[in-house]
Amino acid sequence: MIHRPVAADGWRAAVGEALAEGWRFAGLHATREDATPALLTVLTRGSDALVLRCRAPERRVASLVDLVPAAAWDEREAHDLHGWSLPGHDPLRPLVDHDVPADAWTAPLVGRDAYRVAVGPIHAGVIESGHFRFAVVGERVLHIDVRLFHKHRGLEAAAEGHRHTEAIRYAQRACAADAVTNAVAYAQACEAATGLVAVPAVARARTLLLELERLYNHVNDISAICAGVGFAAGTMLFTALKERAQRLNAALTGHRFLFDAVQVGGSRLELDAQAVGAARAELDALRAEVARGRRELAFAGSLQERMVGIGRVSAGEVVMLGGVGPSARAAGVAIDARTASPQLAYDGFAPAAPTVPTGDVAARFELRGIELGATFELLDRLLDAPLAPAACVGGAAGDGLGVAVVESPRGQSLCVVELDGDRVGRLHLRTGSYANWPLVALAGRDALLPDFPLVNKSFELCYACVDR
Amino acid sequence: MFVLLRQLRRVRRDADLPPARTRGSLALRHVDAGSCNGCEHELQAVANPYYDLQQYGLDIVASPRHADVLLVTGAITTRMVGPLRAAYEAMPEPRRVAALGDCALGCGVLGAAAELAGPLEKILPVAARIPGCPPSPDRIAEELIALMRASPWEGPARSARRRSR
Repeated sequence: MIHRPVAADGWRAAVGEALAEGWRFAGLHATREDATPALLTVLTRGSDALVLRCRAPERRVASLVDLVPAAAWDEREAHDLHGWSLPGHDPLRPLVDHDVPADAWTAPLVGRDAYRVAVGPIHAGVIESGHFRFAVVGERVLHIDVRLFHKHRGLEAAAEGHRHTEAIRYAQRACAADAVTNAVAYAQACEAATGLVAVPAVARARTLLLELERLYNHVNDISAICAGVGFAAGTMLFTALKERAQRLNAALTGHRFLFDAVQVGGSRLELDAQAVGAARAELDALRAEVARGRRELAFAGSLQERMVGIGRVSAGEVVMLGGVGPSARAAGVAIDARTASPQLAYDGFAPAAPTVPTGDVAARFELRGIELGATFELLDRLLDAPLAPAACVGGAAGDGLGVAVVESPRGQSLCVVELDGDRVGRLHLRTGSYANWPLVALAGRDALLPDFPLVNKSFELCYACVDR
Repeated sequence: MFVLLRQLRRVRRDADLPPARTRGSLALRHVDAGSCNGCEHELQAVANPYYDLQQYGLDIVASPRHADVLLVTGAITTRMVGPLRAAYEAMPEPRRVAALGDCALGCGVLGAAAELAGPLEKILPVAARIPGCPPSPDRIAEELIALMRASPWEGPARSARRRSR
C-alpha cells in the first residue's frame, strides 16, 4: 500500500494523475471529528492500494466529482457527517442529512403531466427502510431520487476507541447478508495496519466463509427476481434452497448468517473430516437442485420475457458511476476483487461473464446463476481437507493505516482502518451496495413504475451497510 | 414448470411439517427501524416451504391499516421513530406490538447513542418479545403462534363498543 500526503491545492491534480496511471477509485472519506481534518481517497490497481491524504484545516477542498463521478455520494457524506465544503460539487444535495425540505435533495421537476410518487421509508413487503421519489409521466419513470440513511446507526463512530480485535463486530453487524465480507475486509485492514499476513490456512477458512455467503445470497437473489415478476414457483423453490444453504452455514459455523466466524489475526474455524465430508455431500445435492431449478427457469417464458431490456445500464455508465459486482459484470465490466486477493485462496480466479452483456435484469439474473457454478466449484475445492485454526504471521511492518478490498455478493467492499495503538481511530466501510445505489436509480429511469421493484431486486442491494 | 412444482413437492415432503392445529389468524405488518437486515431475511424465511407461516393463519400484510400486529426490527434509529409511530397510529384496535430481534429488545445494540432512540419499549407498548440475533425462523413462528393464541385479544376499542351496547 502506498500512503501519500497531498496538499489541498494539489488534490485534484494528484487524483487525476493517479487515474491516468490506471488506478481505480475505490472510495473517499473524511477523518473523524477530533483528528486533523483530512480527506482520504483510496484507489486500487490490481491488489495494490494507493491512499491519498489531503490535509485541509478548514475542511474545504475542491470537489473531485467531475473527475470521478463515482465519488459523488462519498463527498455528500463527507459534507453531511463531517462538515466538509467541496466547491465545484454543485448542487451538493444532502445525502445523510434528513432535516431538509424535499426540494433540497430532489431534482426539480417541471413539465405538463409530470408528477412525483413518494414511496417509503416503510415498504409493503418485508423490506428494509428507505425512501424513493419517482418523477413520472403516466407510468414511465423520468428520474428517481433515492434517500437512504433512515437506518443510520453511527456504526463507524461507535467503533472508535474500541480495541481493534473486538471492533470487528461493528463491521460485521453493518449488514447481515454481507457480514463475512465486511468482517474479512475489516480483519485484513487491521492486519495490514499491524503488519500481519494471512497464512494459507487462514486464507482458506476465510475464502470458504466468503463463498458460503455468496451461495445463499445468490440463491436468494434468484428467488427475489422471481418474486419481482410474481413467478411464485421459482420464488418458493429458491427460498427453499436458500434455507438449505443457511442450514449448512449453521452446521459448519453455528450461525445461519456465519456471524462471528471471522477473527482479526487468524481463524478459529475448525472442521474435521466428517464435517467437511458432510458439507461436500450437501453441497453436491444443492448444486444438482440449483442446476435443475435454473434449467426450468430458463424455459419459463413468463419469467424470461419480463426481464429482457428492463433496467438496463451500459458498461460506460457502470464505469462512470463506479458500479461493482454482479451488476457491473452483467453490463460487461469485468471487475471482481477475487482476481486481486492474494490474502485469500482465489488463485487463478477469472470473473464470470453473461452470454451477452446487456446490463439488464436478464443479464443480472443469468450472471447470478453462472457465478453459483463457480462458487460450487470453489467450495468443493476448499472443503477437500479438514480445516484447523491458524494464526496470521508477521510480515512487513504496518504504519497503523490499513486498507482492504473484498468481493461481496453485491460487489467489492472497501474497509479502511486507522489505529491509535491497539484502538480503532477511524473505521470506514464502503460496501458494494454503497457503490451500486446510484446505478439502481439510473437503471430505473425509463422503466415503468411497477417494474421498479423488479429492477431493484435484480441488484438486490442492502440498505443497512449503506446507512451504517 | 412441472419440474419446479415436483421439486417443491419434494421439499414439502422433506420438511415434514406437522399439521397446523391453530384457529384464528393474525395479520402482521413489519417495520424495519434500523436492523442489519438479518431479521428481515429470517422473517422472509418463515414464509418458505420449511416453515410455511401462512398455514397457521399468520400473514404479512402491506398496510398497517390491515394489521393486528406491528413487528418491529432494529435498534430504532432517531430517523425511524416518526415513520414507526405513524405506522402504529394507522393500525386499528385491538393492536399489538412485537419486538423482533435483540436490537429492538435493546440487547447488545451497536451504534452511536446520538443516532438511536431504542429500545422499542421506550417508544411503543411491547406485547411480545422475540429474542435472537437474528431469531431463527422457527423461533419467530413459534412466538407469533403463541401471540395469536394469547387471550384475551381485546383492545380498548372492542371493550368500549361492548360497554356502549
